[in-house]
Amino acid sequence: MDKLKHVLLCILTLALVAAAATRPRYGGTLRVEMRESPPSPEAFGVPRGFVLTTWEAGHRAVFTADENAPGGRPYLDAVDIQMARSLRDQSVDLELGKADVVELSPSELRRQSASRRVWSSSPVRLMALVFGPRITDPRVREALALAIDRTAIHSVLLQRQGEISGALLPQWITGYAFAFGAAADIAKAQALVAGIAPADRTVTLAADDPANRGIADRIQLNARDAHLAVSVVQATTNADVRLVETRIPFADAPHALASVAAAFGLNEPPAARNPEEQYAAERNLLEGFRVIPLVHLPDVYGAGLRVQGGPVITPLGEWRFDSLWVEDRP
Amino acid sequence: MMFRTRLLLIFAVAVAAAVGMVELIVSSRARRAFENMEARRVDAMVRQFDQEFHRRGEEIVRTVQGIADSARAREIALTPDASAYLSEAGTLASTDRLDLLELVAGDGAIVSSAQWQARFGYKEEWLLSEPDWQPRTAFLRREELPDAVTLALLAVRTVSVGEMKLYVAGGRVLDREFIASLVAPQGMRVLLYRNLAPAFSPADLIDGNGPAESAGQLRPLVEQVEKQGKEALGTVCTGVTAETFHALPLKGSGNEVLGVLLIGNSRRDLMELEASMLRTAVIVAVTGILMAIVLSWWATARITRPVRRLAESAGRVAAGNWGATVEIATTDEIGQLARAFNRMTHELVEQRERLVQAERVAAWRELARRLAHELKNPLFPLQITVENMQRARDSYPDQFDEVFREGTSTLLAELSNLKQIIGRFSDFAKMPAPEMQPVNFNELVTETMRLFEAQLVKANIRASAQLDPAVRPVPADAEQMTRALRNLVLNAIDAMPGGGTLAVRTKAVGAGVRLEVSDTGQGLTPEECERLFTPYYTTKTHGTGLGLAIVQSVVSDHKGRIAVDSEKGKGTTFRIDLG
Repeated sequence: MDKLKHVLLCILTLALVAAAATRPRYGGTLRVEMRESPPSPEAFGVPRGFVLTTWEAGHRAVFTADENAPGGRPYLDAVDIQMARSLRDQSVDLELGKADVVELSPSELRRQSASRRVWSSSPVRLMALVFGPRITDPRVREALALAIDRTAIHSVLLQRQGEISGALLPQWITGYAFAFGAAADIAKAQALVAGIAPADRTVTLAADDPANRGIADRIQLNARDAHLAVSVVQATTNADVRLVETRIPFADAPHALASVAAAFGLNEPPAARNPEEQYAAERNLLEGFRVIPLVHLPDVYGAGLRVQGGPVITPLGEWRFDSLWVEDRP
Repeated sequence: MMFRTRLLLIFAVAVAAAVGMVELIVSSRARRAFENMEARRVDAMVRQFDQEFHRRGEEIVRTVQGIADSARAREIALTPDASAYLSEAGTLASTDRLDLLELVAGDGAIVSSAQWQARFGYKEEWLLSEPDWQPRTAFLRREELPDAVTLALLAVRTVSVGEMKLYVAGGRVLDREFIASLVAPQGMRVLLYRNLAPAFSPADLIDGNGPAESAGQLRPLVEQVEKQGKEALGTVCTGVTAETFHALPLKGSGNEVLGVLLIGNSRRDLMELEASMLRTAVIVAVTGILMAIVLSWWATARITRPVRRLAESAGRVAAGNWGATVEIATTDEIGQLARAFNRMTHELVEQRERLVQAERVAAWRELARRLAHELKNPLFPLQITVENMQRARDSYPDQFDEVFREGTSTLLAELSNLKQIIGRFSDFAKMPAPEMQPVNFNELVTETMRLFEAQLVKANIRASAQLDPAVRPVPADAEQMTRALRNLVLNAIDAMPGGGTLAVRTKAVGAGVRLEVSDTGQGLTPEECERLFTPYYTTKTHGTGLGLAIVQSVVSDHKGRIAVDSEKGKGTTFRIDLG
C-alpha cells in the first residue's frame, strides 16, 4: 500500500513538474534574425500584440509587447529582430545561443538535430531567373528555360523544400500552376541554340543572394549541356540574367500576380474576373521567357531550445510572436 | 699580288688555321664532356620526378582507400537518397587534403563532388569502364573544373556493401607546387606542360613559380612530343641564354599524352667556356699573326730584295737596255736565277749586235742589187749608143753626124733617167721633218684625185672618192701627206694593169681622220704584206721599192698608223689613221 502511495506521489509530482514546464512564462526578449531587410515598418508588418518601439532601417527593429492588445498581452516583453543577416551568420548565432529564431537554409535543414524545432510556411517565395535587356534573342531565353533541371535543384540543393514550378504563382494560390511546364528538355534547347551565333550564346548570371550561388552554378552546368555559355558573376555586376527570390505577399491570385509582375519589372496584368482570365494573364506575362520561374519556396525558421510555444509563422509566412515565450535554462 | 703580301697571307692563314683547329678540338671535347654531364643530370632529374610521382600516387591511393574504408562511405553507399551528402566530398577532401574528390554512385551518377559541387547527378561513365579498380595505382587524368580543366593524379577505389556500390575517386592537381617539390641542381629547371587544350596554350606551361616565361619558344618541342608520344630533345635561344630541353611524355591510362615534362639545362656554362676559349684563341691567333707579319716582313725582305732587283733588270731589258745585269750576292736559287739572267742579257746583246750587223750587210746588198738593177738599164743603151757612134765614125763617116746627133740625144735621155733614179734615192735619204698645220683631208684627197684623172682614164680605172663631211682639219704636213697619198694611188694604179676600181675614202675617227685607199687589183699574199713597207722591196718589175717605205715614213713622222688588208685575187686596202 505504501508502495502504491509512493508511486502515486511520484506521478503527481511529475505531473506538477510537467504542468509547470509547459505553462507559458511571461517576460523575456525573443531574438530573431532574418535575411530580408524591409525598407519600412509598413513593409515589415507589425506582429500581432506588439508595437514598434525601435526602427533602424535595414538593420534592426524592436517590437514591445502591447499591454492593451485585443487578445491580451503577449508572453514576451519584446522581440528584437536583426535584419539583413546572412543565413550562415544566422546559423552560427543560433548555434552559439546569440539568436532564438533564425531562417534555415537547405544545408542547415540537412544538419538539423531532432530536438530543434522547425516551422515552415506554405511556398510564399518565388525563385526565378529574370533577364535583363541585353539578351534580345528569345531563343536564348527559352533554351535556358528548357535546359534547367529543376528536379535536381529541388531535390538536392533545396532539400525538397517548396515546389518545382513553371508558374509565377504557387499551386496553393491558383490551382493551375501545374499547367505551366517545368520539365527540362535538353534536346529542344540544343536545337534552339544551334541556330544562334556563338557570340550570342554567352550569358552572364548573377545570384542576388550569395546563398543561392550553388543553384546558379547548377544552372550554369545545365546551360552548358544546351551549348549555352553561362558564366556566374558577382551579384554587383550588371549581369544579363539574375537569380532572384521574391516574396508573394498576397494570398489572392490577382493581387499576388500583380505583385510578382511588379517585382520582376513585368507589365501589370489586367484584372482577372475568373480563373481562366487569371491563367491567361499569367501565361501572357511568361511569354518571351523574360522571367523563368524555378521553384516556389516556403519560409523556414528554426528555433533554439529557449523558445517555447509557437508556431513562429503562419502558413502564409506572417510572424506570430504572441504565442511564444522563452525559458531561461541553466 | 706582291710576293711579300702573298707570303704574309700564307703565314697569317697558317697561324690562324692552326689556332682555329686547336680551338675546335678543345671546344668539341668540352662540349662532349658537358653533354655527358647533362645526360647524367637529366637522368637523375627524371628519376627524381618518377620517385616523387610514385610517392604522391601511393599517398593518394592510401588516402582514397582510407575514405573508401570509412564508415561514412559505407553509409553513403547504403543510402538510396544521396541528396543529403551533397557537400560530403568537399568536407572529406578538405580533411584528407585532396584537391579532387568525387563520390559516385554505382550507376555512375555523382553523389558529391569536391571540385565541382554543382555536378551532382551527372554521370562519370569512365568509372564504370573499369571492372575492378582495386589493383590500379594512381594515374594521370584530365579533370574538368567549373572554370578550367586541370591535370590531376587520381586514384579510384570502390565501396561495396551488399549490392550497393560507391566509387571514391580522389587525387591531387599536378600544379606548380608539384614542380616546386622537385629539387633541380644549379643550371637546371623543370617545367610541366599540361595538355589541357586542343592547341598549345602558353598558360599551361608551368614551373615551380607559376606560368613559365617564354613558353612560346618551347611550343615546337611540346607539340613534337604530343604528336609522337615519345621523348624529344630541343634547344631554345642562342648564346649564353641557350637552353637544352629534354621533353618526356606523361601519359594517361589510355596511353594518351596528357602532359609533357620538360627538363631544361642551361648552356650558359658551356657557352661561357667556349667564349673564353674563343677569346684565348683569338688572342693567340692575333699574336701569332702579328709575329707572322714581323717574321714574314723580315723573311720576305731577304727573299724578295734580289727578286725585285731581277724584276727591275728585266724591266730595263724590256725598255731596250739589253745590257742590264743583276748584282749576284748569293749562291742560292735566287743567285742562280740572277746568274742565268745576266747570261741571258749578255747573249741578247751579242745576238742583237750580230743581227744588226747581218741586217746592215743585207741592206747594203739589197741596195747594191737595186742600184745595180736600176743603173744597169740606162747604162746598156749608153754603151750601145757610144759603140754605134764609134762604129759610124770608123765605118760610115758620111753618116756619123746623123748618128752622132741621134746618139747624143739618146745619151742625154738616159743620163736624165739616171739622174732621176739617183734623185729618188736622194729624196728617201733626206726625208724632212713634217711641218704641222691643220689639213682638210677631204680637199687633199679631191685635189690629188684630180691630178690623176687623165692617168686613171688611160689605165681604164674607175675612181671614186667617198668623203666623210664630218672630217675636221687634222694637224699634218700637207705636202708630205699629199706625197704619201700619191704614192698609194700610184701603187694602186700599178696593181691594176688591166683596169679596175680605185676607192679613196675619208672617215672622222674621234678628233682624227681615217684615210683608206682600196684597189681591186690582184692582191698580196700574207708574206708580201709583211715585207711591203721594207725599203727597196717591191713586187713590181720596175720601181725602186721606196714608195710604200716613204708612205710609212711619213705616217710614222705624223705619229700615225698604217695598215694593209689584202686578199690574193681580190684587191688591197691601205688604211692610215691620224690624230
